[in-house]
Amino acid sequence: MTMAPQTLAKAGEAAIPRRERRAALTLALPALIVLVFLYALPLARLLSLSFLGDAGFSLEAYGRILGDAYGRSLVWNSLRLGLITTAITLVVGYPAAFGLAMSKGALRSLFLASLFLPLAASVIAKAFAWTILLRSHGAVNDALLLLHITDKPIRMIFTQTSLIVGAANIFLPFMVLPIYAVVAQIDPRLTEAAATLGAPPVSAFLRVVVPLSLPGVVAGVALVFSLSVSAYVVPTLLMGENYQTLASAIAKAFLLVRDPALGSAAGAILIAIGLVVVVASNRLGRASGGR
Amino acid sequence: MGRSLEPDLTKVEIAPAHVAVTGLSKRFGASTVLDSIDLAVAPGALVTLLGPSGCGKTTLLRLIAGLATPDQGKVSIAGVDVTRTPPHKRNVGVVFQNYALFPHLSVAGNVGFGLKGRGLPRDAIAAKVARALDLVQMGPFRDRPVTALSGGQQQRVALARALAVEPKVLLFDEALSALDRNLRETMQVELRRLLKNLGVTAVFVTHDQDEALTMSDRIAVMNAGRIEQYADPQFVYARPVTLFTMRFVGICSELRGEVDDRSEGRVRVDTAIGPIVAVGEHQIGAKVVVATRPEHVAIGPAGSAPSVGEVNAVEGRIRQIIFHGSRARIAVDLGDEADFRVEVGGASRIPVVGEAVRLTWPAARSFAYPDPGPLP
Repeated sequence: MTMAPQTLAKAGEAAIPRRERRAALTLALPALIVLVFLYALPLARLLSLSFLGDAGFSLEAYGRILGDAYGRSLVWNSLRLGLITTAITLVVGYPAAFGLAMSKGALRSLFLASLFLPLAASVIAKAFAWTILLRSHGAVNDALLLLHITDKPIRMIFTQTSLIVGAANIFLPFMVLPIYAVVAQIDPRLTEAAATLGAPPVSAFLRVVVPLSLPGVVAGVALVFSLSVSAYVVPTLLMGENYQTLASAIAKAFLLVRDPALGSAAGAILIAIGLVVVVASNRLGRASGGR
Repeated sequence: MGRSLEPDLTKVEIAPAHVAVTGLSKRFGASTVLDSIDLAVAPGALVTLLGPSGCGKTTLLRLIAGLATPDQGKVSIAGVDVTRTPPHKRNVGVVFQNYALFPHLSVAGNVGFGLKGRGLPRDAIAAKVARALDLVQMGPFRDRPVTALSGGQQQRVALARALAVEPKVLLFDEALSALDRNLRETMQVELRRLLKNLGVTAVFVTHDQDEALTMSDRIAVMNAGRIEQYADPQFVYARPVTLFTMRFVGICSELRGEVDDRSEGRVRVDTAIGPIVAVGEHQIGAKVVVATRPEHVAIGPAGSAPSVGEVNAVEGRIRQIIFHGSRARIAVDLGDEADFRVEVGGASRIPVVGEAVRLTWPAARSFAYPDPGPLP
């Protein structure tokens, strides 16, 4: 008899998670259907295509990319674009996130709007805007000529600089927002506590604020890297044929040369790179003690 | 703390420091938060800044810690003017409200934070961390993440973290208010004993009068950016110098009236229910509030002799009785605007509601203050 209340309590405890699990599944169902039918299935088809040779299963398409200097340059160009864009957005975006977190009222609204509004514009529009700015008789060159800083137009469009500038600009919000979300949650009294324990401001920042901001940094890096490593519009419009990436190779394989195995393999390599980044950043996030 | 294990005090080197604040003022925009505050804390003393929210007590604490800078005035610690010294050079320990522990560090990481910044060798840090954790009996928790601790445990870690750097002064900003009532009362007693054993100078900020009375050697009662009274707890409670202190520290019963006679240290006040004699120096004709502590009022049968000389007496009817076990709070209707509150021991005869009674209390226990007008 004395056991009865405990047994009841246990039964109750078990019942609640089961009910919760069912509720969770029900709520996630529409998204699951969309993911499975519109994403997972086509993805599986893509992967199976990449292993299709003349006589069934084959790694031939992968060999054509990874075994060939030009193919490897595609992988390297994609990685390079991702790494440089991530590095620049991190350096520019990290202090910006603090500025955003510290600002108040109208200034904060202005900062947030300048981050969010560009997201509403299409990537193509933004990339074209950069081509207008950077072309030989674009706004930037006209201004330089007018100010007599230069006497003939500087070649800016279709250079690596234009690519990096454009990519950093377009992907910056994806770095700032996750860092801002984390930094805004950091209790300002932690810095004060560090000060009363004898830590000068720089040391307090490095030993308290930076470690606590890492989960945001990890999220921002994962977002910007996976977006920029697979970017198609940005390198195509800002560099054209000079800078071939895995993304442009995919487009060409499907649209021009009708080589679905090659395009699928390039896609699979991009997905693999993305997976490595997501898993690694999750690990880093956990190791840095993200709350 | 907790279990009454006496800490090993031989290894803690805290030199108690004298803290002095003179003419300290602080304004935020148009509002004056601190208005020319003077306060001296003796070495090794435990002082509480007590007041309602917005009275400036936390600002005063922050100015002592160096977390804010004053508009006017001076802060000195151990005889050194530190008014312009940044917090990291003051060696003042702070236990924050809700503790402000570093969530990314373990218990030992938090306690050792200040020591690590001083470039001490690793084993010296470990030894000092262990000592500080032993002081607050958190030794077994050294490798836990602080986010996994209960409120009381976090409080101890915050204290150990502040103690580990051997500060000249320890400041507590509502450090106990997040704990539940029982734990808070235990911590008050334990914390006072620990700090007294260590001999450290400490300043507490609280809005909790019981906490102030329990823990302090002296209480500074603050109101609207000023210190109303600075004295030991018994004196603050027994002889409040302002009506604010009377009302804020403990409860009181009040009568309003006009002074109609005065003689050496006493005023006679004409109230709606008759003359009341109280301690005061007011001019004849002054409007005053006479206040007394409910436990000084005795209840007797109605219809006895009127008040004579040093004893005040009024008649009324019992309106409500709130029994607390060891004592009972009784509200008596005197026909005045508000009920008169009386407190009697739970063992004494408690009257019944509706009973006509006669209340008596000594003139020496009632105090006349200038009438501030009706409460807002």
